Amino acid sequence: MKNTFTQSMAWLHTWGGLIFGWLLFAIFVTGTLAVFDKELNHWMQPEIPTSEVTQADAARRAIAYLQTHEPQAGNWGVSLPTDRSPGLRVSTGERRHGGGVQLDPQTGEAIEVRDSVGGNFFFRFHFTLDLPRNWGIFVVGALALVMLAALVTGIVIHKKIFKEFFTFRPNKGQRSWLDFHNASAVLLLPFHLMITYTGLVIFMLIYIPAGVDALFAGDNRAYFKAQGNARLEQPRGMARQPAELADVVPLLAQAQARLGPIAGFNIRNPNTAGARIEVRPELGNRIALSKGQAMVFDGVSGQLLSDVTEWRAAPLTQRVMVGLHFAQFGGYPMRWLYFVCGVISCVMIASGLVLFCVKRGRKYASASAQLSARRWYRVAEVCNVGFVAGLLLACVGLLWASRLLPVELVQREAWEVRAFFGVWLLALLHAGIRPARRAWVEQLGLTALLCMGLGLFGGLEDALRLGVAACALVLGVLLGVVAWRVQNAEPAPLARKAGRSVEAGA
Amino acid sequence: MMTLIAGGALFAYAGMLGLCQGLERHYKQVWQRACPQSLRVVLRGAGWLALMISLLLCAQVWGWAMAPVAWLAMMSLGAMLLVVLLPYWPRLAVGLAGLVPVWGLLQLFA
Repeated sequence: MKNTFTQSMAWLHTWGGLIFGWLLFAIFVTGTLAVFDKELNHWMQPEIPTSEVTQADAARRAIAYLQTHEPQAGNWGVSLPTDRSPGLRVSTGERRHGGGVQLDPQTGEAIEVRDSVGGNFFFRFHFTLDLPRNWGIFVVGALALVMLAALVTGIVIHKKIFKEFFTFRPNKGQRSWLDFHNASAVLLLPFHLMITYTGLVIFMLIYIPAGVDALFAGDNRAYFKAQGNARLEQPRGMARQPAELADVVPLLAQAQARLGPIAGFNIRNPNTAGARIEVRPELGNRIALSKGQAMVFDGVSGQLLSDVTEWRAAPLTQRVMVGLHFAQFGGYPMRWLYFVCGVISCVMIASGLVLFCVKRGRKYASASAQLSARRWYRVAEVCNVGFVAGLLLACVGLLWASRLLPVELVQREAWEVRAFFGVWLLALLHAGIRPARRAWVEQLGLTALLCMGLGLFGGLEDALRLGVAACALVLGVLLGVVAWRVQNAEPAPLARKAGRSVEAGA
Repeated sequence: MMTLIAGGALFAYAGMLGLCQGLERHYKQVWQRACPQSLRVVLRGAGWLALMISLLLCAQVWGWAMAPVAWLAMMSLGAMLLVVLLPYWPRLAVGLAGLVPVWGLLQLFA
């Protein structure tokens, strides 16, 4: 710690930013990719056909399939084709426990689809780092607090926020890195603050359970009930009397008129007198995240039993904040705005990490510096390469693994995840044995090539898959430019590592 | 809809450009001469006005609840683009604002 307030803030920003920045970078990159999670799902499962089928037809085919194959199941789940995910999936048992069967929306026949973690992996990694769920949530929450602290301390130590609002001076080594770090942080400050704060709000009950403990004796279900989220009680006896199922299609239309586009529906106790049809809206018909909401219809008479709940002010506030984080609203243009903002956040963090080394390079790279100090500097350098370039390589590596691993492989999803972490680990090792600048060039260059190569897997007649490949191509070209700039920066490795700042790579 | 979004983005960029050129050092960076006081006021005023128009256009597309989110993103990204363009291609950075009248004409006649 240092003497003055600003000095101690700078100390906190520097060290907190370095030590936690490596993981924060991973969280931001995967979060940015998770903006397009469903598109990545679709890309990673090329067997899912593209088809223009109305939801009504798809729903009928799904029910016909379930009637033939699973007439006795206690619960049917159907995910209908939507703009972002053209597949038709049916399942029995509880949703979210995965599984299920993909149907061809055109014919209603089951199709073999490879197991793949899909873009969901990035989503899950984003808030758990692939640790056990609750551990991960706490670790990521702690990191989000560090991020908030870094943002606030950054504002404190950056004394010329408005004077240097538009300032970027390239080709000046450390100065350029600092300028870029400042500009990308300051200009996107609303985004950085919003995304970090709302990220914490999502799991507020996990982080700060005191309120529910005090008012509801820790009973989360009582708390949700008090918000009006009560689930209808199932009439026990009626679930045993057979009865004919009502036609879902008019119910879907009714729900769509009320809620906007529909994502799917569940039928509890199908083919019995106690059948209930729950229709779920797509997320993103409004800002507030509508996860868990459904309109419930009687499965025999088709009568509306319960509408979506109107949230009161406090839960609505939380839902809106969560919705701001999940970025499901506003359609594709909004999604792209979030994605590009996310990319720049990643570059902002990466430029801060690089700045740490650029600033100290002159001091520690020389032979005169203390041996232990030089070693620590080298650790920072290696981690920078491994956690920035290495993570990007691992992410694109996962996409390649999803297409290259044999389709019939047992536990295929686990192998994909192993490929992701394996590539990341190899990148860290590679960074450890190569000179820093060579390591940067090689890893960024390879990532660029792999990104550009995604188009080779074909499937480009499908708009969503074409979008993924085209976006990867653009990112690949940008990363290639960055690699090329690092390669051709002046040989003096001291203050001018990459000449000019990274414009829009990562 | 897409043209409204494009318009929102253009006006956000133009607004940030106005605010930027209303600053002594950035005016000099492009034109290599000092900026007269009156012009500075005009540039800043026009900048704020363009930002307001951008917000209006966003509200047309997304409604007033979602519009501020998109608007903030457009301003941030517009300014980011400007900051990266300025040192390399200062004239191009200013010239991009020329797309605003083009967009206006398209709106009128399309």
